[in-house]
Formats: sequence, C-alpha cells, structure tokens
Amino acid sequence: MNRVACPAPRRLASFALASVPGSERVALMQVADSVAHLNLPPQRLNKLKTAVAEVTMNAIEHGNDNRADLAVDIEVFYSGTEIIVTVTDHGGCGDPGWADEDDAEIPDLDRKLSGDQGPGGWGLFLIRHMVDGMKVTVEGERRTVRLTMRTTVPGGQAGGLRHIGG
Amino acid sequence: MDKSMTGMGVRMADRLTSVIDIRGDVTAASEPALMAAYEEASRQGAQRLVLNFSRLEYMNSGGIGMLVTLLVRANRQHQPLAAYGLSDHYREIFELTRLDEAIGIYDDEQSALAG
Repeated sequence: MNRVACPAPRRLASFALASVPGSERVALMQVADSVAHLNLPPQRLNKLKTAVAEVTMNAIEHGNDNRADLAVDIEVFYSGTEIIVTVTDHGGCGDPGWADEDDAEIPDLDRKLSGDQGPGGWGLFLIRHMVDGMKVTVEGERRTVRLTMRTTVPGGQAGGLRHIGG
Repeated sequence: MDKSMTGMGVRMADRLTSVIDIRGDVTAASEPALMAAYEEASRQGAQRLVLNFSRLEYMNSGGIGMLVTLLVRANRQHQPLAAYGLSDHYREIFELTRLDEAIGIYDDEQSALAG
C-alpha cells in the first residue's frame, strides 16, 4: 500500500533567551506573534501562552539554574494540524529533572490549605492542562520540552478535520 | 523586571470589607506587595477581602502559589476571600486549581460585595 508522505512541520520562529527573570514574558509574546496568522481562538492562544511561559520559567530556574549566560532555546513549528513549541535548556543531566511527571507531586488545594503541601508546585500541572501534548527528551545536558496544540479538531466535512481558528 | 510590574491598592468598600486592587502581574515576585496589602486591609479592620483582578495582565504558577499563601493566612483569621474581574482564561485556571472553591468568584465589584 502506498503511503502519503507527511510534510515536515514548517518552522515559524527560532530564538534564544537569556536565563533571567522576565524572559518567560518575552517567550510567550514571541510565540504568540509567530502563530498570530493561524488565528487560534483567544482562549486556545492564552492556554498556549501560559504553557510556554511556565515551561520557559522552569527552564530558566531549574534547567539553567538562573545562569544568565545559559540560553533557553525556543522553536515554533506548524505541521498543518498542530502548533509545536520546543523549549530547550541545559539542565538535562541524563534525566527529565523538573519536567519528570512521574516524580512531580500532584498539587492538591485541600492539602495545601491544611499545610500538608507547600503552596507552590503548580507549574507542571498547569502546563499539562493547557496544551494537548507534552513530551520531554534528554540528550546529554540538553533537555527539550515539546508542547503541542492542535489547530484542527475531528468533525470536518467527510469526517475530516475542521480548523479550530476563526 | 517582574518586580516593578505589580501594583496593589487597598480601599475599604464598606465597614467590614476591603478591596485589594491588583494591577499588572501576579507572580511569586508580587508576594511582598500582596502581603503588605493584606496586612493593610487587616489593620483597617477588614473581616472580608475582595481581590479585584480587572487590571490583571499576567499570572503564573508562582502567582497561584502566592494566592494559596494568602488564602492560608486569611483562613486563619476567618476572613473570607472573594474575587472579581478575572478573564475567562484565568477563571478557567481558578477552576483547574480549584481556587474557585475557596475564593468566591464574581463578575463585578457590586456582586462581590453583595456576596
């Protein structure tokens, strides 16, 4: 059976940010600018922005240890059906570290209010709930978090895909 | 950068209720400003606190953690918390984190004060 080759995702943006407080705001704005032409509904775009900011903040604080000389590298791609954002830091050390969902304690408001859990720890929880997919890969010291957000949903004509945007 | 992007104002809306007007960002760096606003409201005799988010620009996980800290402190003093002015996006985040179960969410100040 012949298979149709999938085109490689098209790169929309590629940039590096210093690991300093506030870079996460720059990241979310640049990612938003790079996907603006895709006309994501505002609510989906806000979710993507929140996820990008959270991943970038973790990359700065936990991946690069707030070292301004270490960059966080961000790339944005569009496959035709989904937006892909990759955020790479230098804190891989052979394991997913801060991005390891198996290690992360699930934040529970009741436990936080009773003092059983600290007040923080919402970052990974938010990321998971804001995007359609999150995957972590580690190559040496380079840890990459790959976020995906669909721009189409099933249910278009003839069972095809329907664009989510306006 | 982010420290200068937060502003807090406190005003008594009625005899028992203080409104904390939040401007700009709510992040971990906002904690000193928010806690100072809370202490000011408590000094004024507030038995109930309303957070005005209508001029919120950005909130992250650190800001959510800070709101949990505020909730813990307010709960200890038996001061209920309410909020208004949240965008749909941040309302959804309040629902995800279940903050909406601990903080009464309203559309506007009038409803929040009446609640």
